[in-house]
Amino acid sequence: MLLAELTGNIATVGYGLAAVGPGIGLGILIGKTIEGTARQPEVASRLFTTMFIGVAFVEVLALLGLITGFLFT
Amino acid sequence: MTLYTALTVLPLAASDHEGSGGGFHAPSISEFFPPAIFGEGTIFEFNRVMMVRVIVTALLILLLALATRNAKLVPARAQNLVELGLQFVRVDVAEQIMGHNAKRFVPMITTIFFGVFAMNVAGIIPGLNIAGTSVVGLPVLLALWVYFTYLWTGVAKQGLGGYLKSSLFPPGIPWFMYILITPIEALQVFIFRPLTLALRLLANMIAGHLMLVLCFSATSFLLLEGGGLIPVTSALTFVAGLGITLFELVVAALQAYIFALLSAVYLNLAVEAEH
Amino acid sequence: MMSAVASTVLLAAEETPNPFLPAGYDLFWSTVCLLIIGIYFYKKLLPSMNKVLDERTEKIEGGLEKAAEAQAAASAALAENERELDEARREAAQMREVAQEEGKTIVVEARARAQAEAARIVETAQRQLEAERQQAVVSLRAEVGVLASELASRIVGESLLDDARRSRVIDRFLDELEAGVVEVENPVREL
Repeated sequence: MLLAELTGNIATVGYGLAAVGPGIGLGILIGKTIEGTARQPEVASRLFTTMFIGVAFVEVLALLGLITGFLFT
Repeated sequence: MTLYTALTVLPLAASDHEGSGGGFHAPSISEFFPPAIFGEGTIFEFNRVMMVRVIVTALLILLLALATRNAKLVPARAQNLVELGLQFVRVDVAEQIMGHNAKRFVPMITTIFFGVFAMNVAGIIPGLNIAGTSVVGLPVLLALWVYFTYLWTGVAKQGLGGYLKSSLFPPGIPWFMYILITPIEALQVFIFRPLTLALRLLANMIAGHLMLVLCFSATSFLLLEGGGLIPVTSALTFVAGLGITLFELVVAALQAYIFALLSAVYLNLAVEAEH
Repeated sequence: MMSAVASTVLLAAEETPNPFLPAGYDLFWSTVCLLIIGIYFYKKLLPSMNKVLDERTEKIEGGLEKAAEAQAAASAALAENERELDEARREAAQMREVAQEEGKTIVVEARARAQAEAARIVETAQRQLEAERQQAVVSLRAEVGVLASELASRIVGESLLDDARRSRVIDRFLDELEAGVVEVENPVREL
């Protein structure tokens, strides 16, 4: 009897790996923004905007991992 | 049989026979290329995603027109909401990034924000159920609009040489670093910016839609085709599906915001040389 | 027809198109939708909303201006009031000063008049006194002369009956007497 079978694309694992770096990056990015906001609440909106620009750049790395799964099947 | 997860191990252990109810169909990329409704093979080919786009466009304009059909000095509730959205784009996106240069680009950024948001949100509207931006054409078109606008603005404002110099040779760096920096900047300005702009939106919407389809098709599969106590587990996937639906609402707004924000950043870099 | 559709569906199922390369129809419908949204935003929504916003700004600015005007008028009135009050106060002070001055002069005048009156009264009294004294002196001189001469004639007899000699003796006596009186009179006048 087959207990567990893994079929499909090995790129799935690749995506998991690709998401590690951006995950850490987002953690640092957002954590630092919260720190900065706690320290200087008056510049919160400025920090918020800058954070999202950073989030956009980090996030795209994880999404590149996602699309490679579709590109190189 | 394409995907077995930890959850599907259980039904497999319970019922060893295959193909009783057609099995579980995991969502695939062909979700985004449904059969044509008309105009098959021509440039006017019309399928479900295109229909969603047209419906969203009509709905967006209809709702905005209804909310502002007799715009008054003292706004009613709907008009207030629209004004809030417009003010958010103008103040918190355009003016915060571009300062006094914002005025020229406010209509463009507003169009991008509202258009992207409406198309994104279609992904969780019952009946539409797929985002207009989850097929590559619209994100690419929006990215190209931003791309050519910032190139044109940069050349018009700083001259061809000035724009190339300010974007490829950032000041304040020792000269030998330009060997390294300039090719990276060139790739960045001319290729990566529009590419990532389109891909970020597209990949987010594709991933969101796939997650939703996965959750809800798993729910129906477990409920209808699982034996014994298996249907109980469908509640789990159903709740997960609801959670992802709410998450997709956040993502829809966030991606619209990020698209508008990055457009403003790129346009600002073209209007003003870095210093 | 049916077979053609079936075959394309089969084809689509067999080889899914690359999801990152836009198809022609995809771009076409995207362009249509984006153009419609763009035109609506550029031509209709934003101009009309901007008009409303501008109007509102104008209204608010007008209101603020009006309020500022009212404020200015109120503060001007207040300043005017204060100025008038100040003037009145100064006028009152001036009046008081004038009155005081006048009072002072009146007092001074009164005092001067009173002094003059007193002086006049004193002078009159003195003159009267002098006259009375003179009178007294004259009468005394006559009476004392007569009395003395009578007394003397009684004592001395005939020798002093001669008129000329008698008057010479009496005059000398009175002169001596007067000299003594004058010496006594002087300190009295000092008072």
